[in-house]
Amino acid sequence: MATHQLNGQIGTDPNFAHVTHTGHSRKHVKASDDHPKMKLTAEEQEIYDGKKGDVLQKAIKTVVAYGALFGADKLVDLGGAPHHAVSWGSDGVEPLLKIYRQLADAGLKTYAPFTADPKPMDPVHLPVTKAEQAAVDKIYNRMDELEELNMKLGMRSKKDWSCACYLPEMGNTPSRGDYLAWSESSAINYVNSVLGARTNRNSMGIDMLCNILGKAPRFGLLTDEGRQAVWLIEVKTSKLPHPEMIGSAIGLKVMEDVPYITGMDRFIKGVDEQSSGYLKDLGAATASNGAVGLYHMEGVTPEAVDKGRALLNEGYQTYVIDDAELDRIYASYPNLWKDKHGTPQRVFLGCPHMSYGQMVEWGNRIVDAMEKAGKDKIGCPTYMFGSQYVKDAFQQKNPEIAKKLEGYGVSIPINCPMMWCSTPVEGAELVATNSNKTRVYTTARFFFDDVLTELIVTGKLPANVA
Amino acid sequence: MAKATFKGRPAVPGSVEGSAEVSHIGFNTCATYVDVLISGTDSGVCQDHDNKDLFGHDLADKIVCIPQTIGSSSAATLFMIILDKGIAPKAMLFANHIDSLAACGILMGDNWLGKRIVTVDLLGDDFLDAVKTGDKVKVHEDGTIEVG
Repeated sequence: MATHQLNGQIGTDPNFAHVTHTGHSRKHVKASDDHPKMKLTAEEQEIYDGKKGDVLQKAIKTVVAYGALFGADKLVDLGGAPHHAVSWGSDGVEPLLKIYRQLADAGLKTYAPFTADPKPMDPVHLPVTKAEQAAVDKIYNRMDELEELNMKLGMRSKKDWSCACYLPEMGNTPSRGDYLAWSESSAINYVNSVLGARTNRNSMGIDMLCNILGKAPRFGLLTDEGRQAVWLIEVKTSKLPHPEMIGSAIGLKVMEDVPYITGMDRFIKGVDEQSSGYLKDLGAATASNGAVGLYHMEGVTPEAVDKGRALLNEGYQTYVIDDAELDRIYASYPNLWKDKHGTPQRVFLGCPHMSYGQMVEWGNRIVDAMEKAGKDKIGCPTYMFGSQYVKDAFQQKNPEIAKKLEGYGVSIPINCPMMWCSTPVEGAELVATNSNKTRVYTTARFFFDDVLTELIVTGKLPANVA
Repeated sequence: MAKATFKGRPAVPGSVEGSAEVSHIGFNTCATYVDVLISGTDSGVCQDHDNKDLFGHDLADKIVCIPQTIGSSSAATLFMIILDKGIAPKAMLFANHIDSLAACGILMGDNWLGKRIVTVDLLGDDFLDAVKTGDKVKVHEDGTIEVG
């Protein structure tokens, strides 16, 4: 029988941590506490009582019961536009599809057009063998159905599959203070931390129900108190740390608590095209090695700029990260390749999907290295993952680099590298990646940029890391 | 008379009784039902070989006592699948706070499939120290649990 390469462990919890996964710790809660009921408005009560139909009634009953379990006091109206993590149509999500069908049959749509995570496969830009494709088609046998249901329920377009939907090229970019009910841990982390929007980490299913209602239960990261930090992270590295490493270290330490990070404003002066990719990757690593839904970075992220250390709760804990600590974390990453010292078969860059700036940076890096080595074909199949929007912008604004990359054999797929690696038929491949998230959820190995660049050019890992 | 009584929070209330299946480590929903997810089997037998307490035990209609659920985000849909197939536990009793994946799956099963896993959380570590696999367990509407 085919099994996932990590024995089924794709998702939010590779460390098997005892957390709520909402991005809001509830360690302090006891059964004997007062668990007050949520207060509904007259309009919400009408829906709850079934006066707007039984499908909406089921939706609000589910959302209210869910919110009550996590201490919500009321429902809040949502702003911006939704984003959903469900992007794979398989028999495994049949119960969700059934619910989606009920919602669609009732003529319901989300409160605003939504985007969704990238699909698992891109047969054009990341093709597999015919036999593998046949197996993949069998696994994802409900993709068309999911897409059709999504379109009926309010998906923005059939082009809108990307985990980095908030980037300006794609434009599902919430404003500061917007209440959201997003799923996709990396996107949640980015819009909370870097944009100052407010969403909890939502499980698939609850996201759609909230977004159909246009309301979410107010608890955790939707509240001022839930956005207070309980960890002070003092970064004392000698240079700008790799975003994946610093994020990984923080996630492993704080799990789902909110960290306040200091020492990074020595290197990052604000949120711009260059830093947004860095902050995206740092956040994704905190959300995959832990379950962090929000981080504050002193002098950089909006709430930290405004409130500074007032964001730290009394009694906070402190974690110091220096060069040695990052070395320790890197050394702890397991090598899960079946052939532990084998030659990598693919290089995957960009998980979450690359920003425009990252695509330009990597494009230039590869072109420079190839020209320096005097080569015209890459040594290892290389893929730079991004949304269709970012890909289009990159190719239109950088035609020379894009043409050279294509000539070398570098591909720009629009699917999810993590899901591609987790699909059973792909499990045996030796994938090298620059993403901690892909590393955490699959058997791919993480390498630093200079190592990957050498691998891309020569087809081999440097002797000191192989 | 019950051997011990505990009071938790009735997350999804109900009155049921049955035989306990106890895990002292996190209940990995995806690994437990991996064959249901991938092969579509109709068995409630725990497939999680890392869970020495439950591996090979049929959990259908049992009172499953755990610290918390862990593992893949597919857990929410898995709860709906096992409810749909009629192989779900009768009750899930959590020593810790329920997590969002189990909460979502169990509540969606309750509201959209009309099938309930009675769920009580915040029972505390003492509960897991007291209850043993095979014990008779009675779950009350208000979250009171009688063991033995």
